[in-house]
Amino acid sequence: MRRIFLPLPGLVVALLAAAAIAAPEVNVNCRVPGEILEDDPPLPLTAAKLKAKQPLRIVAIGGASTAGTAAGDGNAYGYPHRLEEALRARHPGMDVTVLNKGVARQTTAQMVERFPGDVFAANPTLVIWETGTVDAVRGIDVDQFAAVLEAGIASLRAHRLDIMLVSMQYNPSSGSVINFEPYLEALRHAADFDDIYLFRRYEIMKYWTETGVFDLADVPKDRRPQFAAEVYQCIGNVLAEAVDYGAR
Amino acid sequence: MSGRDLRLDFFRGLSLFIIFIDHIPENPLSYFTLHSVAFCDAAEVFIFISGYTAALVYGQSLMRNGALLAVAQVYRRVWQLYVAHIFLFVIFTAEVSYTLVAIENPMYAEELGVGDFLTQPHIAVLHALALDFQPPFLDILPLYIVLLAAFPLILLGLSRHLLLPGLVSAAVYALTLRFGWALHAYPDDRVWFFNPLAWQFLFVIGASLGYVRALGHPPYQPPRWIGQAAVTVAGAIAVISLSWTAHWIYDPFPPLFPKLWYFTLDKTSLAPVRLFSILALVMATLHLVAPEAAFLGSRWARPVILCGQNSLYVFCLGIVLSVLGHFVLEELQSGLPAQMAVNLLGIALMIATAALLQWFKTASRRPRAPSVQPAPSE
Repeated sequence: MRRIFLPLPGLVVALLAAAAIAAPEVNVNCRVPGEILEDDPPLPLTAAKLKAKQPLRIVAIGGASTAGTAAGDGNAYGYPHRLEEALRARHPGMDVTVLNKGVARQTTAQMVERFPGDVFAANPTLVIWETGTVDAVRGIDVDQFAAVLEAGIASLRAHRLDIMLVSMQYNPSSGSVINFEPYLEALRHAADFDDIYLFRRYEIMKYWTETGVFDLADVPKDRRPQFAAEVYQCIGNVLAEAVDYGAR
Repeated sequence: MSGRDLRLDFFRGLSLFIIFIDHIPENPLSYFTLHSVAFCDAAEVFIFISGYTAALVYGQSLMRNGALLAVAQVYRRVWQLYVAHIFLFVIFTAEVSYTLVAIENPMYAEELGVGDFLTQPHIAVLHALALDFQPPFLDILPLYIVLLAAFPLILLGLSRHLLLPGLVSAAVYALTLRFGWALHAYPDDRVWFFNPLAWQFLFVIGASLGYVRALGHPPYQPPRWIGQAAVTVAGAIAVISLSWTAHWIYDPFPPLFPKLWYFTLDKTSLAPVRLFSILALVMATLHLVAPEAAFLGSRWARPVILCGQNSLYVFCLGIVLSVLGHFVLEELQSGLPAQMAVNLLGIALMIATAALLQWFKTASRRPRAPSVQPAPSE
């Protein structure tokens, strides 16, 4: 047993020393490494539109973080509009529209119910589906979440749409209050088994926290809308890169 | 009883380590725990062994001391578990209050709705006392409490006929799966994360095997062919499960029967494939590991066994440590070295605590031993 206890003092010292080093402050350069951004499943219909320079219509359906009201005017500062701007900048002269269909506090099942009016009626080429948060918050059974997700994907597929899934927002503190892990895992598995491009927003925001791009844990009250706008701007930029990667 | 069955202590200790490791979010070590080689995880092991030891300890007490004292002992244990749960709840509340500052940021507040229970603390506390408010990771003790509170009934049934509780229990499990019975929880329309109506079946299976031992028979040994079949099945499950884990770590690796994964998801109602997986593991273990297996007496098994012998305290400590570990990793330092340090330090603290408790038990038992009946250690 002695052997087990010997390295302890060393570990304690290492842990304390590690804790004492503060994260470096880097400013808003929100690019992320390719391996976080890139996913194998292609977006063929989007690729065809981009190649032919035809108008490209995208629907972003999701919850509060898609609606973007935390930044004030969600239609201007939410990530869907930023995605539209970024895609237009990346493809000069192309007509790109991104419709924001974010509604706060909806479960995956409620979003699937909205598909006919909010997605199919708009006749998009690509659907960006941000989901999972409310299911985790409400403690919906994971197997039920996975089943509804599957059904939603099948229904989007049946309408011949390119699909991109977007995972939850990351927050350094929420893990102690809400257990996101099983839902994240279900999302990853569903994307993997059904061959759907997964935009790993959770990992991306975590990467930003770890590299000091954003300090998501501690935002002064008066700076919060501005801060949310910056994060959404970055999400929009990185998402545009992901769309281009999927449509390569 | 003629010598303790150290296998129980060893595997329960192991399951406590795994519960600690799996409870730290995004822990790389959790790729190497039970759920990577089985369709179930440490929760199933913990509940099965808890059922077994409960029947062993209180079954012996029933025969020696009569029903009244045995039932009183069960309820003393239920009370200890209840107090432990409330203690963990207080720690959880402290942590949540601390992190609330970050989460009230509208970027998250709108979608997380965390205020729901913190705006009504008086109601939340009452629900915690009633066990139906179960924050993340504080959900297995309420299950254990409810199962143990119902245990006198199981014990009574076992003393009538060994198979009686098992048959009733199987029927309740089947009906629960068929009709989707669940226990309501707070807030909103949640249910208990571990549905006692489903999980009681595994507990009763464990209790039935444990009662055989309480009657004075040697530990249950499955017939050879069942043992061999169980080893084959557990092996096949391990291969499938490992292929998923490998695919997970390295995408081009092909997963075997990927759609089967969905059937392992329903932990709440103890999905049949999960039950099948744990029973295969139990039978395979009984077949392969003899009660007097040499490794159980070895130096490296000793710390694990110590933890298993002091499971209530070590379990609670593990939960607290995983919360603290998570806090350290998120707020202070992340990265692989820090993660490994948190894992090692946590397990070392669990072992040290178990060693301390063991010393305390033996040291305070030494004087005037004959007049004091040692408390049953379950």
